[in-house]
Amino acid sequence: MISSIGKSIAALILACAIIAAVVFALGASPVGVFAALYEGAFGTWYATADTIVKATPLIFTGLAISIAFSGALWNIGADGQLIAGAIAAGAIGPYLGGWPRPVAISLVLIAGAAGGAVWGGICGWLRARRDTNEVISTIMMNFVAAQLISWMVHGPLIEASGAYPQSMAIAPSARMYMPIEPTRLNPGVVLAIALAVGCYLLLFHVKLGFELRAMGRNRRAATFFGIPIARLTIGILALSGALAGIGGAVQVSAITHRLYEKFSPGWGFEAIAVALVARLNPLGIILSAIFFGALDNGSQAMQRAQGVSPVLVQVIQGLVIMILLAFDTPAWARIRGQIFARDARSAPDTGARTDA
Amino acid sequence: MLALDRVNFEAHAGEIHALVGENGAGKTTLMNIIAGRVSPDAGDVTLDNAMLRRGSAAGALSAGIAAVNQSPMLFERFTWEENLALGGFDTHGFDLPAVAARSRALADRLGFALPPAGTTIEHRSVAERVRLEVLRALSFDPRVLILDEPTGVMAPAELAPFLDLLRRLRAEGRIIVLITHKLREALAVADRISVLRQGRMVAHTTPAEISESALARMMIGDLAVVAPSSNPSSETPGRSGGVALSIEELSLDREGHRALDGVSLILHAGEIAGVAGVDGNGQTELVEVLAGARAAQSGRVIVAGKPAGVSQSAMAVIPENRDLDGLVLDMTLWENLLLAAPIRNLVAPRGWLSRARALELCRELLERFQIRAPGPDALASALSGGNRQRLEVARAVASAPRVIVAHNVCRGLDVAGTAEVHRALIEFAAAGGAVLLVSSDLDELLELCARLFVMSRGRLRETAPADRDPARLGMLMAGHFE
Repeated sequence: MISSIGKSIAALILACAIIAAVVFALGASPVGVFAALYEGAFGTWYATADTIVKATPLIFTGLAISIAFSGALWNIGADGQLIAGAIAAGAIGPYLGGWPRPVAISLVLIAGAAGGAVWGGICGWLRARRDTNEVISTIMMNFVAAQLISWMVHGPLIEASGAYPQSMAIAPSARMYMPIEPTRLNPGVVLAIALAVGCYLLLFHVKLGFELRAMGRNRRAATFFGIPIARLTIGILALSGALAGIGGAVQVSAITHRLYEKFSPGWGFEAIAVALVARLNPLGIILSAIFFGALDNGSQAMQRAQGVSPVLVQVIQGLVIMILLAFDTPAWARIRGQIFARDARSAPDTGARTDA
Repeated sequence: MLALDRVNFEAHAGEIHALVGENGAGKTTLMNIIAGRVSPDAGDVTLDNAMLRRGSAAGALSAGIAAVNQSPMLFERFTWEENLALGGFDTHGFDLPAVAARSRALADRLGFALPPAGTTIEHRSVAERVRLEVLRALSFDPRVLILDEPTGVMAPAELAPFLDLLRRLRAEGRIIVLITHKLREALAVADRISVLRQGRMVAHTTPAEISESALARMMIGDLAVVAPSSNPSSETPGRSGGVALSIEELSLDREGHRALDGVSLILHAGEIAGVAGVDGNGQTELVEVLAGARAAQSGRVIVAGKPAGVSQSAMAVIPENRDLDGLVLDMTLWENLLLAAPIRNLVAPRGWLSRARALELCRELLERFQIRAPGPDALASALSGGNRQRLEVARAVASAPRVIVAHNVCRGLDVAGTAEVHRALIEFAAAGGAVLLVSSDLDELLELCARLFVMSRGRLRETAPADRDPARLGMLMAGHFE
């Protein structure tokens, strides 16, 4: 694990060196750009808090990716699962006015988990029972979720005045505590970290997690040793969806208080990068999510101070991921091999007995 | 490992030359050397007095040597025309109609039918695939055509036309080298027969001067060494207890052929029973069904009185393909032990893994089974093949099952490693366990097993004591049940 963290850091440094060259070529000062990025991300207490707030949904979705990818279940649908969770949370939120605040917030989070779990679980069921490639089904479910939220905020959930395509605000009792105003820092990040620890324990200290990792690394052997592949596939994609869905619910409860179109800027996709940079380690995901959150947050300051396009941040993210994967050839080869070689070799049919 | 040992092989124009031998005798290696795919450590291949460059596949092909692989290498989702276009039919661009026309002309001349135009390979029978491969090989107009076990999975009805095709090719003056372990087929079609055994060429003969049973004996070996244990000695465990494993009428269809055909077997506590057979006659499917990795269409498996699956911990399976089915190579040794459910439950009684307990168990097993490994935290991929096999045996024994099913468990092990694995299995049986040893190694089976079954084309038959004779077993393995 030490060496893997070392590799990640080495990849980051190499990425920074290449960025510096690109920035220099664009006629700006590399030092100035990095200073502005840092200033925007961590320069003030407020900036730091906002970096953490921006990292929070990335932790939830990153964990969703980590759990699924550990079992070689290629969940590309964390974005849709987050939206499904947000829809569930935003739908019940306005009606929780009569409940005590801890109960109301919990209900919102549970609704989010349930929404995400359904979204992920459908893809798990399709994979386990109909042998539908989850890469495709999870991607498609993203589109379904995006159109569903659009329809919801134009139709069934539109606010009473009907002025804008957005849902009713959730009840004040369902809104997350904001202990350190004016920052938007909220207990959502604490929940995210707690879930990261939980996922870490699940993966590395619990029998179920072992079975999941064994399935991820050698599905045939797992079949041979009676690991319940089908149940795991459904359960883990549902859990993965639930983690992303909680992320959506936290966003509703703490930040937006309501639903609107284009709810997610693509957290579920960025999460794949977050998880891969962390090498799927749930604890590493906390750090890598904060890194990506800082890039998001710092990019505006960079643009103001140095006149460099914030698009450069996307260049940085892309370079970091590519360099990281280049540093980690065997792992990437394994992932790539498993995604593309699935049909090439006929695995034993997983019939009823493995599910029993 | 020495795959081939100073082998001489000679074939003449206009003859069908059968190359026979058991699995692992070196037949395919010899083919690969002739076709230039493998470079020999010593020795040369000459064609018409011209020496071929060692290990040059392109050189061999341009000299006129074409080889057809054991398992057809075709693209499933491409049409047959597209597949053939990747052979020698298409020299200019990708002119599919021309490829189709030329293949049809060739197929007509050889007297066989091609699939309908534009159909993909997916649902074609194995014989059709082999014919397409032959056609592709012939597109290079080779002087020498080598066919590696082309009839291995053909249906009986497909066989006769295929042998006719070989005769037609012979009539065109080509050299046909037919690699097979089916003796009757070799005797029926070949002009001359060469026999390989454990990497050595043990005989050159002709169908006129040899009988099927004599050929079987040559192929399997002069079993003087194992003859004494043809009657199992008192050291070999016999049945001592109740029924440990009962297999009732298992049937399984796979890819259009009957992989298991009403397989039944009863195994008692304390005995080692063997399943002999040429690979690919349903053994793999049987083991997969027993492991629960494949569902049979009908039949039941009862382990220690309960249906398999319910009492999964009562049976440990050591699969044949250790790297693919038996181990997770990029996990540690102790994690690999946990693959066995009983060990997993032992180390994680309430779902919480005790790493310390797993490490301790792993260290203990490494020592007891003399597995050479850096330590429990080493990755399984760091182990040599023999040590990987020992790890699997250790895991099976440590999961304290009632039945161990071991499939080709000593393949690739050296003499000492084989002896250790055998001792572990004998000890397990002596302690009241039951062992089902599925193996293509007759020596091993005769040495260890009190009872022998033979598997052929998905059917399992118990042998009579009179059959404990290598030649007789060879016939049974070739499917000659009366």
